This record gives sequence, structure tokens and C-alpha cells, in this order.
Amino acid sequence: MLDKVRDLIITNFLAILLGIVASGIMLLFLGENPISAYSILITSVARDTYTFADIFVKATPLMFTALAFAFTYKANLYNIGAQGQFYIGAVIAVASSLFLQNIMPGWLALIITLILTLAGSGIWGAFIGFVKAKYNSNEFLISMMSTYVALNIMNYLLRTHLMEAKGEYPQTDALNTSVWLPKIVPGTRLHIGFILAILACIGTWVLLYKTPIGYRIRVVGYNAEAANMSGIDAKKLYVLAFFISGALAGAAGFTEVNGVQHMLVQGFNSDIGSAGIGIAILANGNPIGIIFASILFGALKVGGTIMGQMSAIPSSIIDLMEGFVMVFVILAYFVRNWMDNNREKRKLQKAVVQ
Amino acid sequence: MINLLTRTVMMGTPLLYGATAEVIAERTGMMVTAIEGIFLVGAWAGFVGAYLSGSLSVGFLFAIIAGVILAALYGWICVYLKQHQVVTGTAINILAAGLCSFLYRVIFGVPITPLTVSPLPSIPIPLLSKIPVIGEIFFDQNILTYIIYFLAPLAYFVLYKTSIGLTIRSAGENPEAVDVAGINVYTVRFLTVLLAGAMGGVAGAFYSLGYLGMFATNIIGGRGWIAFAICFLGNWNPKGAVAGTLAFGFAEAVAIYMQSIGGVAFLPNELFIAVPYILTIVLTIFRKSFNVPAKLGLPYIKENY
Amino acid sequence: MEAAFFELKGISKYFAKVIANKDVSFAIRRGEVLALLGENGAGKSTVMKILYGLYKADEGQIFKDGQEVKINSPKDAMKLGISMIQQHFSLVPAHTVTENIILGNVHGVIDQKSAREEIKNLAERYGFELNPDDYIRDLAVGVQQKVEILKALYQKANLLIMDEPTAVLTPQESDNLMHFIRDFAAQGNSVIFITHKLKEVMHVADRIIVMRSGVVVGDLKRSETNEVELSKLMIGKDLEVLNKNAKPKTADQQPRLVLENITVEEKSGVPALKNISLTVKQGEVLGIAGVSGNGQQELCEVICGALSPTSGKIYLDGEDITTSNINERIARGIGYVPADRGRYGMILQMSIAENMLLKTSFDKKWQKSGFIDQQKLNQYTLDQIKEYSIKAPSPDSRAGGLSGGNQQKVILAREVDNGSKVIVLDQPTRGLDLGAINHIHKVILEERAKGKSVVLVSTELSEIFALSDRIAVLYKGEIQGIFEPSELTTEKIGLLMAGYRLEEVSKDA
Repeated sequence: MLDKVRDLIITNFLAILLGIVASGIMLLFLGENPISAYSILITSVARDTYTFADIFVKATPLMFTALAFAFTYKANLYNIGAQGQFYIGAVIAVASSLFLQNIMPGWLALIITLILTLAGSGIWGAFIGFVKAKYNSNEFLISMMSTYVALNIMNYLLRTHLMEAKGEYPQTDALNTSVWLPKIVPGTRLHIGFILAILACIGTWVLLYKTPIGYRIRVVGYNAEAANMSGIDAKKLYVLAFFISGALAGAAGFTEVNGVQHMLVQGFNSDIGSAGIGIAILANGNPIGIIFASILFGALKVGGTIMGQMSAIPSSIIDLMEGFVMVFVILAYFVRNWMDNNREKRKLQKAVVQ
Repeated sequence: MINLLTRTVMMGTPLLYGATAEVIAERTGMMVTAIEGIFLVGAWAGFVGAYLSGSLSVGFLFAIIAGVILAALYGWICVYLKQHQVVTGTAINILAAGLCSFLYRVIFGVPITPLTVSPLPSIPIPLLSKIPVIGEIFFDQNILTYIIYFLAPLAYFVLYKTSIGLTIRSAGENPEAVDVAGINVYTVRFLTVLLAGAMGGVAGAFYSLGYLGMFATNIIGGRGWIAFAICFLGNWNPKGAVAGTLAFGFAEAVAIYMQSIGGVAFLPNELFIAVPYILTIVLTIFRKSFNVPAKLGLPYIKENY
Repeated sequence: MEAAFFELKGISKYFAKVIANKDVSFAIRRGEVLALLGENGAGKSTVMKILYGLYKADEGQIFKDGQEVKINSPKDAMKLGISMIQQHFSLVPAHTVTENIILGNVHGVIDQKSAREEIKNLAERYGFELNPDDYIRDLAVGVQQKVEILKALYQKANLLIMDEPTAVLTPQESDNLMHFIRDFAAQGNSVIFITHKLKEVMHVADRIIVMRSGVVVGDLKRSETNEVELSKLMIGKDLEVLNKNAKPKTADQQPRLVLENITVEEKSGVPALKNISLTVKQGEVLGIAGVSGNGQQELCEVICGALSPTSGKIYLDGEDITTSNINERIARGIGYVPADRGRYGMILQMSIAENMLLKTSFDKKWQKSGFIDQQKLNQYTLDQIKEYSIKAPSPDSRAGGLSGGNQQKVILAREVDNGSKVIVLDQPTRGLDLGAINHIHKVILEERAKGKSVVLVSTELSEIFALSDRIAVLYKGEIQGIFEPSELTTEKIGLLMAGYRLEEVSKDA
């Protein structure tokens, strides 16, 4: 058993390392020295409180989208639409904030906004679960397509109803400071949304592993037929799982709009959906693992941005690192299985010889 | 209207390349979820090859090679290492996006004005293109479209009338049957995945070389996934793929047309852009019966060696 | 001495968790019928899969006519004239008979016409009634087996390997198969068939190889041995003999489970169950005999609540439970051990403790202020592990890591507990070794003694006869009749299972 844990840590660590090395090799093509580039990365990340705190700022929405994918993954469902649910959540968050900010105290507006965001993006996601339950539609495709639909809805609204008073750019007005999420570390961008994200991870873990309903979701994920034969209504759980998943992704919209951007612009955070999937895979769907993996990706993002500022390295190096790390993690999974099988086989052959 | 239909055939071409290849691969049980990434590297490699060599043919060759390489990675991990197809495909799509964006920068730096090549010309077929209506729509297209006129029926023929086709179809329904018959299931699956790489690469290059004449990181914008969806909605049959392609090609042509005329009074542009995606969702929900290959998405595991 | 047709020398095969074969050696001559006898898990299938090239041996050699041969794939085996028909047919349900037979045997463009002709002719020659255009999924299992055999003949096999061929056949169909095997061997071909059924072996085999725990423990001529000796070799020890009648017969017990005119219509219009009426008393075992696929699954599902009947009623202790759902029935005390345990009965990826929770996750007894009472669950699991002698390190062990017999014990433990009134068992001992089978039979009789109603569905007639107080025969969704065991002979029940009406059978019996 201990062997397995040791294997898990070592292989994942190696996977991340190989991913970084592979990206480093790509840097050579650019004529850049990967070692110096990476040193800049590491030192810049630890440079000052602001930069360091930014890691957690970046990690916050990633935790939510990763949870969104992982949650439905536990039910053997594929929610590829976290990006779209995030957009919907962001739209609701900004609309609600703009509407409420002048008519009630900030803290109340924030609470109502959060509730509306979770409900709205949850319903947007639940639609997918509903058609899956009722018609056995392929949720992979539908969730994938729903992102593009959500994107277009957001772009349309930014161009029309939600557009700033000035009417110059497709973006909203800035929010009043009353509806800004309070900061938890002064002098940085780190806001209370980070705590929310951590709580969401822990809460998801408790829900999945310590409650009967979480148990049932996992049963359905492993074997829907056995679930149905045991009186567990897989269909109801599909809807619930997608609702929670959508709500989680939508929460990222809330934290980004009210905690970081304080407005809504086009094209921001356009990759947290796919990064979320990558993080969920890296953490093997475990909500606690997601906390760490998100922080790792957050660090990559911050470091990568700074690397881009200080040298001629394009920010796409981050995507490259993410991609390589993900591929190596999948290979690590294979290697662990293979090592495990071999270990068992050798044990058996030794026993025979004796 | 004729213009619209002509556009339909044109915009449907890359979708049909992708969908046909996806049908063949999925019939063996492989969900090529890396198809979006394959389209992208095809677009990128095609552009790079064409720009650097000055020849579109070289570009398409590069596109095929790039597509095959990416597909080989996907195939190796999913067929031989038996890993999860959705997870792997997602990882590869992310990697492909990163690679294309990064390597474009490596090769071209940050150009002030976007780099372009002259896109594929349309080649009117003598005589046939003179037929009223039909001639304009079908026989005044570029070479890729003409090629798919042969490839699509060929795919149908091979799949249903030849031994290879029977093997392909059996591999997705019951790989054990194929194994017991002495055919290597892994080889069959891997080769169809490579085919998807080649055809998907061409499809991607269509966008950069056949249509826009340039490359941008969001050039594919989900169309690889639409080809993936067409395979589903076309019921894993090349004939269905053609029908699905025409539907989506039409939707895309309409969207482009709407944008070019500045939109229709009260209907926002975004609605037209979203039509292909909404269409996919609606069709996916309401398609009643599917002939899903029984073992689609499942790695073939036997305790061997 | 003439070299054997095929010979295996020193074959060993190691899997991740078990030694499947250790130093297995035997030979088969041309025209010989060899039976490979042993319990489930003895290693019989493994060594044959090695001979057919599906597996690669870790040690050992194979010889044909005295020359060593390398068989690295089924293709190599087929070139040598070997063909194998597995327990779970390697057929493509969505394709036709023709398409299945020609798979791997044609090249290039398929000539449908001549292929169909050839297959038709071949089928006629051997007396098989087959339509080349039928889809496999529409064919009865016995017919599917014929397609498999035809495929082997199409490939001109000289050595036919069959893995548990009679598992899915009626007694009469088994007889037909035995005839075919004898005819085939008489033409100079060889047959190896794997089985755990002693009677078949004594009827048709020339020689018998007995395997146990991966090793060959006996290589005997049929004429020189008998069932008792073979049985001893197979098990390695004497079995505890169960005597059902040691327990008092259930005198005036109340009817507990009553099915009244239950009909289940399928979407195709063909009823899966037609007018089923039966009663199970308290403290009674009702055996349901029949070939798989005649409505057994549907019958079990109707009782446990997974399937709603189109018409008819179900009563439990006098109460109408026809519209009760699965959860309600579990709460009322109906337990169900499904035939396909990995698919319907347990979650292989979860722990044993978590599997114990499968049917009762809604029950308050496992909850502590909204969360799962893990301690209580673990303790319960430990108790069950002890009581049923389940070989597992701890309640946290992954269910998928247990052997088939132990997995079944987990399910049995759970369902015996849940089934305080009724227990439905479908093929409870399929694929298990004799020790486990014995244990399960013991549990069934114990529960019967406690006054529970037991519905036992099984294709193993010996099991049905050993445990049932009464026997019902199911054919195409209808009950052919309900009998006392003493009223039935093997021949009579075989005819009923094959669909002969009671009147026709009574005339002959």
C-alpha cells in the first residue's frame, strides 16, 4: 500500500518535471536559454508579496472549474462546458452587481449576487444533465457546444444591454467598490474568493466521500446499471451533478468579476475551462488534490506572464507547459499501473520458487 | 441563394474530411477526441509549409504530416497504453494549442501585419460547371472539395463492401471477435486513428490555406468538434456524415453571409454565429436511435504477454 | 510410436495475482476426443488460450506432429488447423451469420453471394439449420453456438477446442453437440473440450486430463476411470454432503410471495413474461429451471422491483406490492443476488464496506447526523467477513480484487441480511469452485430453515434438484409447469426446458 502512495507521488512529480523540461527544450528553439528563463520564473514568483499572492488569485477560478469537471467525472459524466458556465456565471454576477450596487449595502448585494450566480449557472448546467437523463443525449457534445453558445450570449450582451455607458468598448462599467470582494491580504489582489474556493474544494470532498448522496453519485459513476438495480435513481443524480457542476463553474465567474476584474470584458480568462480539466486530470478527480494542482497552475500562469514581460518569451509557454504536464501525467498513470502489475507478478513468481 | 449553397459546399468540405475520418476511426471503437487539436496543427503546419515554401501543395503535405504525428501520439496512448480517450484527447488538444501558438512565434516572431498566403483558387470543371445551378454549386470549387467527392463514397464502399471494412466495423462492435479471427485489433485501431490524423490535418489546413489564407490561434474555433458531432449525428455512416456536413455547412454559410451584410434588423450577429452550435445541441438531443459501435471509447484489454 | 497430433510440454503462465498454469504437459492424438476437466479457476481455459495463441506462455513448448511450433497469435494457430470456440462467443451481434463467419477469412472486395452459398452448403452438410442472413443478436444461444462451430469448419480446422460448450444448452441440445463431436472425431479430427461436468466427460471423451489449481493432476483413459475418482481428483478432498431433507419439510406454511398473472410486454410486442403465476411459501425453496434467456432475468427483476409488469399483481405476506419501487421492496425485506454480479450486484472499484451499503444508502441506520456512519459500516463488514469466511484483508479492500467466490459471498451476505423475508438468487454458483458452491448451498438451506422464501434460478439441474422443494420450468416467458422434484426426470425436465408442452412430455415420460 505504501509502495503505491510512494509511486503516486514520485511519478506525478516526475511527470510535472518532464513537462517543464519538455517546455524548456521548446524554449531552445526560440533561442532562449531555458535555465535562465526558469530561474527568472522561480525568482519572479517569490519576488514580492504581490506577485506571490497573485498565484492564489490565479488559482481561485481554476479550483472552481476543476471541481466542476471533477464532480461530474465522478458520476461518469463529461462536463466540457465549464468555460461556458463560467461565462454565464460572470454575466449574472456583473448584471446583478450593477443592478444591486446602488440600492442596498454591499455585503447584501454580494450575497444575493452569489446566490443568483450559483442558481443561474447551475440551471444552465442542469439543462445538460436533464437531457442526458431524459433522452440519454451525449452530454460531452452538448456541454462542449454550450460553451460557444454561452460565449455568444456574453458577447451579445456586452455589445448591447450590459455595455458601458460610454459605449466605446464591448465591456461593462466598472463596479462600485461596495460590491468588490474584500481583500484578505492588503497590498495584493488576493481576495476572499480564494477562501471560498478552498471551502468549495473541502465541501465537495466531504459531499462526495462522507455523505450518502455523494456515495450514490460515485456509485452511479462507477456502474449505473448496478445503481439502478439497487434503487438509486441515476437520472435524478445526473441532473443534480450537472447543477452542482455548473454552479461551481459559475462561482468562478463571481470571483473573477467581483474579486479581480471588477467589471466584465470580452476575452478574459478564456482558458480556465480547459485548464480546469487539466487540473482535474492531474489531481485524478480528488478535490483536495485539486487545491494543490490549481496552485501549481496558478504559479505557472504568474511566472509565465512575468517571464513574458521580462524576456522575449511568449506567454503561450504556459499553455505549452500545461499541455506537456498533462500528457506526462497520463503516461505516469500508465507507468504506475504497469509497475504495479509487474510487482504483483514478481511476488507470485518468487512465492512459487520458494 | 446560389451563392449560399456554393458556400455551403465549400464550408462543408473540411467538416466532411473530419467527419468521414472520424466515422472510420469510431467504427473501430476509437473516439478521436483529439480531432480539434488535429485540425489546429493541420491549419498551422499547412500555413507554415505554404508560407515558407511558397507552394500550397507543400503546405498541405506538412498539414498531413503534422496531423498524423499528433494522431499517432493520441493513438499510442489510447490504443497501446489503453488510457482514457476523453482525458487523453483533452490533454492533446491543450498541448496542440500551446505548440501551435508558441511555434508560430518561434518561426515568425510577432509580425506587424498578419502574414498571408493566397488561398486555394476555385477550379471550375470544364463543361460540368456550366450546368445551371448545380454546376455553380458543385463544380466550381477548389481541389479539396473535388477530392472529397471521391473520398466520401470510397469510404462508404470500403466500409460496407470490403474485408477491411468488415474488420473495421467488427473491431468496434466486438474486438474479441476480430482478435480470435487472427487480426491484430490494435493495428486496425491505430491505423484508422492515423487516417483521422491525415484527413483531419487536411481539414484544418483548409481553413488556413483554402479559405482565410492566414493562421490565427483561434482559427478552428470548435469546428473539429463539429466534425466529431457530425459523426454522431450521421449515425456512424459515411452517408449520414454527408447529410450532416451539408446541414452544418449551410449553417456556417448563413452565418458568414449575415455578418457580411451587417446582420438582420433585430437578430444579433452572435445568434448566427451560434447557430451551428445550437443546431448540434438540438440534433444531439432529438436524435432517437443511434447505432453506436458497441465498444466505442473502451480500450481493448486482454491479459496478454 | 507415432507422434501425437499436438503436444504441450511444461507450459507455465503467471498473471498479476495468480499462477494460472504450472508445468502443464499433455498430448492429443488425431481422431481423439480429449476432455479437460477441472473446477472453475483450475487453469483449463488459460492453457487452451495459450494453445490458440491468445495468450503467450511464460514457459514451455508446443509440438505438432513431433515438430516444435511457435503459436504467437490466433493466426498462427489457425494456420496449424486449430480453432477455438470460447465460452462467451466471439460473435458480433450486430452483424449477420455470413459476416461473422467470413471475418478474417476473406480479402479485398467481399463476394456476398458466393460466401452465402458456401456457408449454406457447409451448414447443410453438417445438419445445421442456419440462415446466412440472420443477425446474430436475433438468434438463440444454441444457434449462435452452431455459427461458431460453422466458422471453425469454414476455416478447415482439424483440432477444435471448445470451452464449456454445454453451459448454455438444454439437455437435448447437449446431446446433439456430443453427436457432432463424435462424428467430427470419427473423420480423423481432434476435439478438446473444457468442462466441469462429469457426466459429459463420461459420455463422449476418449481421454481425460484433470487440472487443479493450475496443475495437471490426472491423465486417464475414460475406460479406466469413473466419476467418483474424477471428482476426487478435481476437488482434492471429500465434499461435505448436504442433505436437504435433514430439515423438516415445510408443512402448513403460509404463502409469502405470490405472483398473479404477471405479464411483461417488451417494446417489440413479444412478451418477456406471459401470465406467470406462482406462490412461494415461507421456509420454501422454489427452483426455476430453464435455459438462460427465457425470462429468468425479467422474472427476478419483477420480483425485486426493477421491472414493472404490464399486467398482473405481486403480493408479499398478503400485501399488494405491485407498485412498490425497489427501495420500498428492499425495506420490506426482499433480497436479490443477480446472475451478472459484476454488472448488477456490486461496484468492483469500491471497497467491500462500501458495497455493503449499496442497497441501503437511504436507510437511516447507516447515517449519523447526515453523514455516513463509517465506523458502524466497517464493524458490520468485519462481522460479515468473519461469518462468511470471506478471504479479504480488511473492509477497505477493493471488491474487484477478490476472487469470484469471495465477491459472491459479499453479495450473498448483504442480500441475506436485506432479504429478511424473500431472497431471489439467479445463478448464484456460476463460475465458482466447489468449495464456494457448497458454502452457498449451505447458506440457502439455512435461510430456508429460518422461514424465508427463496427463489432459486439456475441452469444447473443438479443444483435445482438438490435444493428445491418445488421446481418451476420457464420457457419463452411462460411457466411450463410447477412440479415436485420426484415428479421429474432429467429427460422430462429437459423436454420442458426445450419448449415441449406438458401433455406431449407426459406421454413419453
